[in-house]
Amino acid sequence: MRNPGGVFIYTSPEGEVVTESFTCGHCGNLVEVKPKQDPANIGGLCKCCMKLICAGCVARGNCDPFEKKLLRAEARGIALRSYGL
Amino acid sequence: MAGYAASNLLAGTQQAISTAYKTLLLIEASTGTAARRIKVHEFVFGTDGTPADQVMTYDVSRTTAAGTATSITALPLDPADAAMLGLTVGNHTVEPTVTAASSLWAAGINQRATHRWVAFPGQELVIPATNLAGLAFRAKSPGYTGTGVVQLEFQEQ
Repeated sequence: MRNPGGVFIYTSPEGEVVTESFTCGHCGNLVEVKPKQDPANIGGLCKCCMKLICAGCVARGNCDPFEKKLLRAEARGIALRSYGL
Repeated sequence: MAGYAASNLLAGTQQAISTAYKTLLLIEASTGTAARRIKVHEFVFGTDGTPADQVMTYDVSRTTAAGTATSITALPLDPADAAMLGLTVGNHTVEPTVTAASSLWAAGINQRATHRWVAFPGQELVIPATNLAGLAFRAKSPGYTGTGVVQLEFQEQ
């Protein structure tokens, strides 16, 4: 990958294998990218938020960035705190 | 923004791996003091039982309740940092409430192997700043009945 989001390091008695990964920009899933893997099998690039996304989110076909999901999850707590509760 | 490290070896008694998922370690946001986002940037899965060739399935899933487990004090990476505001628990005897179809990562790996993931900045696994929202790091195996180890490094923001 040109800009990986992380690395997996698999260490076994046979040796060490390092693969790259990215975190889905829509759901936060970890996606492992193996060497020479067909890009069509690992997800895609969302042209709305310009983030790499997993195959499941590609299939959904809409743009719902992970940061907005987090803000929705936190909204109730933020509101309760603003009321002093 | 403080960094912490935790593993299921820090407290409690390691539980035997079985054919159903056993949660080794769980971290969650808590409103006990103030809910903060938690960003996991590294995890390491492995076993510390008798080596053998059999499959281990490791999984990272979202949770909404902690289950029954031993409280673990996450260690600040910088000793000058304050204690973590969220909760870290491990070696579960009663499994946490795992959100259905929320696995962020899962893999089948030989028991002899160790699997480590390191995120680059901005690509961490994120837990929202919502009370009891968390991540469970768990393992199962069709044959292995020894114990597992997981080590985490994360930030609280």
